[in-house]
Order: sequence, then C-alpha cells, then structure tokens
Amino acid sequence: MTTPTEGSVVFKNVVKKYGNVTALKPLNLSIEPGKLVTLLGPSGCGKTTTLRLIAGLEAATSGNIIIGGEDVTHLSATYRKVSMVFQSYALFPHMTVVENVAYGLTVKKMPKNEAHQKAEQGLELVGLKGFGARLPSELSGGQQQRVAVARAIVLEPEVLLLDEPLSNLDAKLRRHVREEIRQIQQNLGLTAVYVTHDQEEAMAVSDTIIVMKDAEIAQIGTPRDLYEKPNSSFIADFIGDANLIDCDVTHTDGNQSDIVVAGTKLSLKTPANGTGAGKLVIRPHQVILSNEKTETGFEGHVTYAAYLGNMTQYTVDGPLGQLFVISNVSESPIKMGDTVSINFKDNDIRLVDI
Amino acid sequence: MTRTVTMWLLIGLFGFVLTPWYMTDAGFWGFSWISGVASDGESGSAFFLMLLHGRAWLFPPLIAFALSGVALLLIKNPVQKARVIVGITGVGLLFTMMQGLAIVRGGPRFFESFYSTLGGVDGQLGFGAGAGIVLFSLLFMLTTAYSSAGKGSGDAFVVSLIGLIIALVGVFVFYPVSHILVNAFRVPGGEFSATDFLTRLFSSELWHIGCITFSGSCGPAINSLVLAILTGASTVLLGLAFALIFTRTNFIAKPLLRVLTVIPIITPPFVIGLALILLFGRTGSATALFADLFGWEKTRWIYGFGGVYLAQVLSFTPIAFLVLIGVVEGISPSMEEASQTLDANAWQTFRYVSFPLMRPGLANAFLLGFIESLADFGNPLVLGGGRFNVLSTEIYFSIVGTVADPAKAAILAMALLMLTLGAFLIQRKWVGTKSYATVTGKADSGQHAALSRGVKFAAYTTALPWAAFTAVVYSMIAFGSFVKLWGYDHTFTFEHYIRAFGIKHTDFGWKLKGVAWDSYFTTLEIATIAAPLTAIVGLGTAYLLVRQNFFGKNAFEFSTMLSFAIPGTVIGVSYILAFNFPPVELTGTSIILIIVFVFRNMPVGVRGGIAAMSQLDKSLDEASITLGANSFTTVRRVIRPLMGPAILAALTYSFVRAITSVSAVIFLVSARHNMATSFIVGRVENGEFGIAIAYSAVLIFTMLFAIILLQLLIGKRKLRRTDRVAKAH
Amino acid sequence: MKKKTLLSAVALTAVLSAGSVYAGELNVVCSNEQDWCDLMAGNFEDKTGHTVNMVRKSTGETLAQVRAEAGNPKIDVWWGGTGDPHLIAAAEGLTQASGVDTSDLLGWAQNLATISEGRTIGIHLGVLGVAYNREILEEKGIAPPACWKDLTDPRFKGEIQVANPNSSGTAYTELATVVQVFGEDDAFKLLIEIGKNVNSYTKSGSAPSKAAARGETGVSIGFEHDMVKLRRKGFPLEIVSPCEGTGYEVGGVSIIKGAKNFDAAKQWVEFVLSAEAQSAGPQVGVYNVPSNSNATIPAEAPSVESIKLIDYDFATYGSTDTRARLLARWDSEVKPK
Repeated sequence: MTTPTEGSVVFKNVVKKYGNVTALKPLNLSIEPGKLVTLLGPSGCGKTTTLRLIAGLEAATSGNIIIGGEDVTHLSATYRKVSMVFQSYALFPHMTVVENVAYGLTVKKMPKNEAHQKAEQGLELVGLKGFGARLPSELSGGQQQRVAVARAIVLEPEVLLLDEPLSNLDAKLRRHVREEIRQIQQNLGLTAVYVTHDQEEAMAVSDTIIVMKDAEIAQIGTPRDLYEKPNSSFIADFIGDANLIDCDVTHTDGNQSDIVVAGTKLSLKTPANGTGAGKLVIRPHQVILSNEKTETGFEGHVTYAAYLGNMTQYTVDGPLGQLFVISNVSESPIKMGDTVSINFKDNDIRLVDI
Repeated sequence: MTRTVTMWLLIGLFGFVLTPWYMTDAGFWGFSWISGVASDGESGSAFFLMLLHGRAWLFPPLIAFALSGVALLLIKNPVQKARVIVGITGVGLLFTMMQGLAIVRGGPRFFESFYSTLGGVDGQLGFGAGAGIVLFSLLFMLTTAYSSAGKGSGDAFVVSLIGLIIALVGVFVFYPVSHILVNAFRVPGGEFSATDFLTRLFSSELWHIGCITFSGSCGPAINSLVLAILTGASTVLLGLAFALIFTRTNFIAKPLLRVLTVIPIITPPFVIGLALILLFGRTGSATALFADLFGWEKTRWIYGFGGVYLAQVLSFTPIAFLVLIGVVEGISPSMEEASQTLDANAWQTFRYVSFPLMRPGLANAFLLGFIESLADFGNPLVLGGGRFNVLSTEIYFSIVGTVADPAKAAILAMALLMLTLGAFLIQRKWVGTKSYATVTGKADSGQHAALSRGVKFAAYTTALPWAAFTAVVYSMIAFGSFVKLWGYDHTFTFEHYIRAFGIKHTDFGWKLKGVAWDSYFTTLEIATIAAPLTAIVGLGTAYLLVRQNFFGKNAFEFSTMLSFAIPGTVIGVSYILAFNFPPVELTGTSIILIIVFVFRNMPVGVRGGIAAMSQLDKSLDEASITLGANSFTTVRRVIRPLMGPAILAALTYSFVRAITSVSAVIFLVSARHNMATSFIVGRVENGEFGIAIAYSAVLIFTMLFAIILLQLLIGKRKLRRTDRVAKAH
Repeated sequence: MKKKTLLSAVALTAVLSAGSVYAGELNVVCSNEQDWCDLMAGNFEDKTGHTVNMVRKSTGETLAQVRAEAGNPKIDVWWGGTGDPHLIAAAEGLTQASGVDTSDLLGWAQNLATISEGRTIGIHLGVLGVAYNREILEEKGIAPPACWKDLTDPRFKGEIQVANPNSSGTAYTELATVVQVFGEDDAFKLLIEIGKNVNSYTKSGSAPSKAAARGETGVSIGFEHDMVKLRRKGFPLEIVSPCEGTGYEVGGVSIIKGAKNFDAAKQWVEFVLSAEAQSAGPQVGVYNVPSNSNATIPAEAPSVESIKLIDYDFATYGSTDTRARLLARWDSEVKPK
C-alpha cells in the first residue's frame, strides 16, 4: 500500500453493511493524485457504494477513509473536499445555469459577483459560454450534463466523483462528452473517480480501472493490464471480448506452461499460477483462421461470418467449443460454411482460474 | 463540534445564572425581573435560587455544564470527547426534568425524604425563561455532540432537528395525552385494570352493527368508521377532480373554482351545518322547492348520516385538493410524454403512469380526510340528530355531559386511535416503498398530458356540480348575514355587522365598538404566530421522515399523527391536566393556544410535506451536500424553493385551522385570550345566528385575503419556464 | 452556528413569552348568554373598579375545566348555568362557600345555598316548558298541547324534539320533573309513550326550541326563557307550561376553591345577587326570574303565580346516585335502539 499523499483517496479496510447485507467487503485501495480512476463492474458490485463512501453520502460501517491525507471517516459530506456529478445530473430546476454552477461557491460564502464570474469561467471550460441565464429545462441532455460537470469542477475539489455521468446520453454524444471530461480532468490535473458499468467507456477515459465484483475488488490495473493480463476469467470476459476455454495445466515454470486442451497437448509462452484445471483466455483477434489445413491447428467450422468494413467477425465451431473471432485480414475472406484450421498467437494467451 | 457545543454551553450558563428560572406573573418581556434576578425567591435565576434560597435541587444543569466544559478542554480524541458530552448532557437533562416533575408547587411529590435532607423544600413554580434556555442548550449540546460521536449521519443540523422534534412531540403530545389515556385503564372506583379495559374497548355498545344488518342502529365506532371511509374517499375523488381541472385543462373559470375549493376550509364550525339545515331541513328552501316541483315529501333526512356526510365532504374536500394539486402539478411531463411515445393513449397514460405516480398524494389525502372525519365534532353535533352517534361527540359528552365519565372518554378515544392507526398502517402498505420521484435533477421541458376525454368528462361532472353546490351553500351564508332572522324574517339589515364590528367616532378618535373586535384580533394574532411555527415543525418532520434514516422512524411518524387523530376535546382537557401545574404551567396564556394549534395541525404539514418531498429526487439533496452545503443550507436553498405548494398548503391550512378550530380551544380559551370560534359558538348556542354568520363572513374574507397574500409571497415553483397544458386532441 | 440559532430562536421566544395568570383581577367564567355576561361584567367594573376577565363557556365545559384545574384553578368565580353542575362541583369540593348574605333572596335560591353548604347560591329561576310552532301546527291541523300527557297523543307523531338527558342538563331537568310529577314508574311509561312521537333526542338542551322556531320540528321541550327569547325575535313560537305541573332550574354562582382573588370574587357574588344588578336583565333579553326578592321581574318572564310549579327536590335529584340510576333506566327503556 502506498503512503497517502495529497489529493489521493485511501480506503483502509472499509466495510459497509446495510443491516445484514454486506455492500462492501473489507476494501483497501489507494488512488494517486491527478489520475482518473474508474470503478467498473456489473450492477450491485459495490462500485456506487464505494463512490458514495468517498463522497460521504454513506457512512462506513468500519474502517477508515482518508482523503488528501486527512481521515474523513466521520466527516459529513458537506465538509469533504469532493464534488460529484450525478447520473441524473441533479441540476436544481429552480435555478438558472449560472446559479447552479455558482451554488457551491456561494454556499462557501463567496461574494455573489465573484461566484458568478467563476461560474461563467467554468461554463466556458465546458463550452457553454453564454448559456448562464437559461434554466436547466431549456438545455439539451448533453448540455445539462456539462453544466453538472462545470458545477462540480468550479469548486476545485481534491477529488471529482462521477457517477455514471454518461448513461443518459445517446451513443454518439457519449463518446464526445467522455473525451471532453478526460481532457478537462487532465488539463486541470484533477483526481477523479468515475463509476461506470460500460467497459469501453472505462477503457477510454481511465488511467487506472478498479474492477469490482460481489462487493470486493476483482482486479486493479491500467486498461492495458486488464485487457492483456486479466487475473480471472471474470475480468477477461468483462474487459473486452474473450473466448474462455477449459484446460488442464500440467506443468509451469514461470515463463512457459504445458497444458492439455480438448485432448491436445500444447506448450504456451505464458506463466500459470500452478497446475490443475484452469481456463484459457483467447481474445478474438488472437485467433488465426486459415482455409489451408495446418499442422498444429484444430479443425473448425465457420457458422457465421459478418463483414464490417475494417474487420470481419466469425463464429467458429470446433473441438474448443464455439469461438468468437475477429480478423483484420481482408484478402481471401473465409466464408460461412467453410472448414478452417484454428491457430493462436500464443504469446498473448493467458491462463486463469487455476 | 467544539465550537457549537461551547456556544450552547455559554448560552446555557447565561440562562442558568442571569435569567429567571421560574415563570413569573409579570412575564419575561417586561424585564421587571432584572432587579430580582440575583436576590428574589420568585424571579431569581437558578444559580441564586440555589445559593440564597436553599433550592439545592437545581444543581443538575450546573454540574452538566461544568463537566462538559472540563470534557471540552481536556479530552483530545474528538469521538471520545463527543461521547462523554453526550453522556453528561443526557444525564443533566434527565435530572433537570425530574426535579421539575418531582417538586411542584406544593413541595416535593416523590422521594420526600431525599429532598428534605437538602433542607427547606417549599415547592416551586413552573419552568420559566431560565429553565427553557437551560433545557434547550442542554438538548442542543447533546444532539451536536451525538452527531460528532460517529453516530447518525454526522450532521448536527439533522440530529438537532430530530432531537428537537422528538422533545417537542414528547412534551406537547405524549405528556398531555398520557394524562387522559391513563384513565382508560381505570375502572370506576379508581383501580387500574387491563382486562376490564379490553372488554370495554371491544364492547358491543361501541361496535354493534345493527344498521348494516337492518336491526337497529350502529355503535358509534362503526358509525365513525363508515363515515370516515366514505368521507375520505369522496373528498379524495372530488379533490382529484378539482386538481386535474386545475392542472390539466384549460377551464375558463379557474379562479372562481379556486375560491370555491378554498372557502369551505376557512369556514368556521357550525356554519356549514346551519346552511345545510336551511337548505335541506324540513322547512329548508331546497326542500320546499323540491316539494313544490316534484311533490317530494318534506323529511328530516338531513339529520343523521346523510347530513353529516354532506357537511364533512363540503368541509374537507379542500384539504384533499390542497394535498393533491401539488402532487398532480409535480408529476413530470416527460414521464407522461414517455408513455405517449410508447403509443399509450391519454387514458392509458393517466391510468398507468400519472395515476400510480399520484399514489402517495392520494393516500395522504385520504388519510387526512379519514382522520378529519373521525375527529370532527361540530358537524355531527349540529346534524347528527339523536341517533347518529359518532365517537367524537360521544367523547365530548362523556367529558361535559350530565354524568362525566373520564374512563369512557378515554376508552372511546382509544377506539378512535385504533381506527386511525389501522388507516395509517393500510395507507403505508398501499403506498409501499416504490419511488415516486418525478422532479429529478434532469430537467425537462415537456407539456403536461391533456386528460383523456373520459377522465376529463368525469372530472368535470364530479367537480362542477359540487362547485355549484358549494356556491349555493355560501350564497346562503352570505345572505344569512344580511337578513334579520335567518330562515324566517328575511328583511335586509346591516345590524349584525354593526354589532360585531362597529366603529364609532368619539372625542378621543375612532373607537372599536363592535363586540367581536377583541376576539378577532386575538384570533388573528395567535393564528399568525402559530401558522409559520406549524409549517416549520410539520415540514421539518416531513424532511426527516422522507430524507433521513434513523432508529424508530416508523414510531416517530405515527406519533406525529397522534395529536391530530385525537379529538380536540380530548386534547383540550389533556392540555389542562398536563399544563395547569408545574413544571410546565401554561394555562391561561396565549402560548397554550399557539402550542395546541401547532401540534394539532402539524400532521397536515407532515402529510403534505411527505407527499411533495417524495417527488423530489434525492440526488438533488446529495448534489447540494457534496457541493459543500450543509443540510440546513440544502433545505433552505434547494428543498424549500421546490416545496412552494407544500409550504403554501401547510401555512394556509395551519393559519386557517387556528382560526376555525373549536373543540380543543374551548377548554383553553381564557378571558384574556378568547378566540373567534368560541365567540361564534356561544352566539350559535344562544340562537343569534345573524351575528355568528356575520362574524364568520368577516373571518372568511380575512382568511381569503391572507391566503391570497401568502400565495403572492410564496408563489409557484419555477420548474419549467411555462406550465403548459397540451391541447386536447 | 447560525442555523442552530435560527432553529431554536423560535422555540426560545415561545418559552420566554410565557406570561402567567394575572393576580389582582377577577377571572370569571360565565355560563349565561353572552350579552348578559358582557353587561354584568361592565356594570361590575363600573361599580367596583376591578378588572373583570370574562369568558363564556357552557356549564359542561366549565365543570370539565374546573375539574381538570383542581388544585391550581385559573378561574375565580363561575356564574350562571343550571344549578346541577354547580351542585356537583360543590359536592366534589371544587368550590368554596362565599359567606355572602342570602336573606334578600327568594326561597328556591336560598335552598340551593343550603343544599350546597353555601358553595353555590341561586341567581335566577328558569321554568321548564313546552313550545310549539304555531304555523307548523296550523298547517298540519294539529291541536296544540297543554299537558305532559297530551304529548303522548299520536297526533304529534314525529313532531316532538327533546334533548338527551345524558348530554343535556335541560333534558335531565325534564326527566327529573316528570319523575317528581308522576312518580318514577308512571313517569317512565309516559316518557316511553312520548318517545314514540319524538323525532330526535338532540345533544344540546337548547337545540329543540331552536328547531321548533324554524319549523324543523313542531313541538319542543326546554326552558321557557329560551323560548321567550326566540319568540321575541319574531319566530312563531307559543309557550305552554304543562298543566300537571312543571319543574325548573335554578342558576347558580360559585367561587372556585383555591381562587386567587377571593375578595373580588366575593364582591362579584354579592353584586350578581343584588336587586339592582339583576333588574338589568331585560335590557339584553334575559327573561328568567331573578332570585333577589327586590329585583324587578321582567314582564315577559313566565309568571310563577300562574304556573303550577312543583317543589323541585334538588337534593335528591341533583345527587350523583339518583342521576346515574335515572339515566341508566332512561337508556334502557326510553332511548331508541
């Protein structure tokens, strides 16, 4: 565990229970300053609870929460230097846009003129200059979302919390706004904690992703780490697409592992945690299909093929079960109904769940 | 925390040393106590009473303050410090209240020997300014410390609010009501018995159902129950029809309708009953008309269930309307639009989207109508005739009848409470735990869906005839105030107004000669003080119930309904029993009237507040809090502005109820503080309908004026730039 | 910090504003008509210089309040209303003897003082009577009643209104009167017969006469001074004193035990018993018989000589036991099921 530094969030054995229901098992984490960290996981995994614990909207049942080096476990949300962007935006419907953005400042007794000035700057930052006099009801969804972001960042919080901020936007806008959020965060050097259930969104914006499952952390890492080095089939499946194939590890020495899959012995340039039954993680683009019969490959049968312009998707039945395959090779496309041989780029294959 | 606790500690010490501990005859604001605060045995402060007058039993607050001070200075760990202060102030509060209860005017009441060792115990007066300051400062020290002790939400405002409301409800609802309910367990002769209590509570005298089986009459409990269910349901139906017409149609005469929906609530008691008799009595105008037109027989049907039901629906529809209009207005148009884009027609949208979203409003409106009907006493008295007995009148006459029977009154009150509790529980179940938030932080600019043809037709055919009926009743009343002898001699006259509100020019300028002026001003003054207090306490409670979670919340919620559910007569008598003696001696003052209004009418604020607040998405509060606002600022700047209609309803209702309620105040009014209703009832009893109605008419106009003023001051919520209604298709 | 101040400022203000009862004045509860109350209070103030704080409450409400306040009363003196509740208060020790001279008073007024050991004294007499609405009876062709027995005649079916003795002192006086005139068993037979014609047993004692005045019922039973008053207002009411003899109520005045202004209260009692004060009644439409033998009797008052008044036994029929027994019997035999 790293020592707490300015601007970071540290959880020490934080537990949250609602009556008999455990919403969060003892949780330890540390968030580095200036980074955008995403809490990712299926619904009910505890990611929103974690976010609300940071905000102070929920009280921890036990453990300590440290923000910016200060123990805030018993400090109410009002006094924590965090601000939050809500899924529903939570814009105050009776205030104009600029009043909404200036709210946090005026609450802190900043003179109204000054607060409005800063609010206008904040609006400019999110590209809403000149919208200050409108009511939230007169803005589009994307604009409301940006007002919510502006409202949170004008307070210059130590930590910016974002609770599924894009879920109310349409797909195209979502991509645009997430880029904006990422840009603002990096420009201002904000520490941000971002909750989402969308792994693509998480990959696109995060410095670090914390994947949660069943009220605890499943894996922490950079988007690349998680994708390339998943520590479980859950992560492998949740981050990107993956083919998970049952296998038996017979030998491993740290760099090289011998496995048996579908009755075939293979030697892979990848480590395993031990020997015994496990799962083979093969990403769709790591599968190489060819029309010619090869020496080592398995034989399969293409049941589905879809040409998507920059790539082609295949579903292949074979001794390994049904495989999902993506190919960037545009020449000599394999067609539906073809019999193919299946090979892997074995340096990127992972062995998990052993 | 340390700062706030220290502030309260200093305020408490100030109260302990420098203000008179007891309530003195001269009152506080006269400041005549200043000279005697350090010496006098009556107007002295607790500190000097202890030192100079041997009242050593006043020590607990001083010890609590001293120990808290030590804890503040010496204990470093904030959580530990807070816990210690919670303990100290808790014990201090307990002992301070115990000495008040134990040593009353006549000397010690309990533990005589213990006190006699302290020396000269000669009794004491009721709590005054000093005691009040000390008790409140101890309470707030306790709540502030508690919030920092790692318990609760860690929010001093919320914990203090909970503490304050529990303390107030405890002192002004439970303490007095327990005085009278204890009688329920008393058999004639003074002994206590629980078994006797149950047999009497469920006796067939109360619950027989002869009227349903056509074998005679029903027991008062059954009468009350049937009446309350029908009244509750009818008022909700009518209130909903009016609310829909207001928010979802382009009806032309909305302002007129608005007046008609408000007037009944601002009508003093008995007036509606009298008007109904003059219309539908055996010699009533409507009866005569129908007899001439259709040859109908002139009967006395108005005396009995029919009349009481009619009068109650007239009286209580506005309450349902006030609750429902906020709810109907608050339903987010986008939800209705969403439904329409899913190809639902107007009726389906209403049936499956709008109507279910109104559930909390409907349930709360019904509960209010139900309870009002149960507790109503004026209408059954005037119109019940001899056979239609309900619990509230039975209770009244078991207290003031020819044979006073406090045990029977208490049993009947218990039966009434049982019905209320039942309704409350059923309501809770029906509303359930679904979310009814429609004002979310995600703004929308849509239009309210127009009503389907069927719903619109139903709303119009329900509401408009009723509005016409109300108009007729009130024209009768207005007419009655301008004629010599209402119902007999219809010569036009101003005489009643002149007698009540005459002004005369004398050598010393203009003089108020009318007999009604005194009670008129007292009434206005008390209502004006009580209304904002009621709204604050009621909506504060609603805020706690909707937005905060704490131990014992359900019991807390029900306890806030208690004072409303108990008939005014019982409340009135229990207030005398509880507050005529130290430690809290309030009878004969205007404060007792204000307090009784605040705690009797608070539940309306609570119900309306709950209905309105459950429409506000919780993320609005949370956004405000994470933006650095505390709960108080959040309430002030976010919740309050969005609660406009609910606040208006609470203020209006409590103001009006303070002016029109009669049963509770009849025991509490005193010569100096007489209320308008008590005056009117006296005149009605004396057969002087003219002046009673003239007075009522003046009150009605006063209240209308006040309501319009309130509406201008508080205004509407600005949720959307315009509140539009889609054109009907 | 500011928020707490706001939160509690209101509460503190309320506590601080608390005044208390005002000594050195006279606190009167009046159970008479409002105008009579106001007039007498004004006259008393003019005469003695005391400040009178007066509030009007019905007898039942006053008794309930006096009971609840026992030990620390806020009322000094209770004036008006039927004698029964005054007697009850005296019997329960809620009132105290005033020691005022009663020698000028008529016998029935002294009688009340004797029964109560001086705790309550008679101030006026109200005769129990029957009223009928002339217009209604003419319209329906019903001959007016003259006696209690007439009321049992089927011609009055659905036309008689009387109060319920459980809630109304007036109706209890009627019950006790009939019992004293006919003897208990015959009285109940009579009441059962009358009951067949009764359209409603009202809660309030004055309600039946008001209903008769407006024609909501043909005949009512109640106190004659109420009926006189309605007739004076112009309603077509005729008043009958039953031929078999009728009872009456004696209004009382009592000083509450523990009264803080006993001397002023005593002066009040002396004042309301004086001939001068009592003679003012007709000014405000009070038409009962005053208790001071020297007071002017209003012309409209029922003339005691022409009415067959029974010798009403207040001691027996005012006692709690008799009352409870008669009411229980009324409930089981007369009250409509």
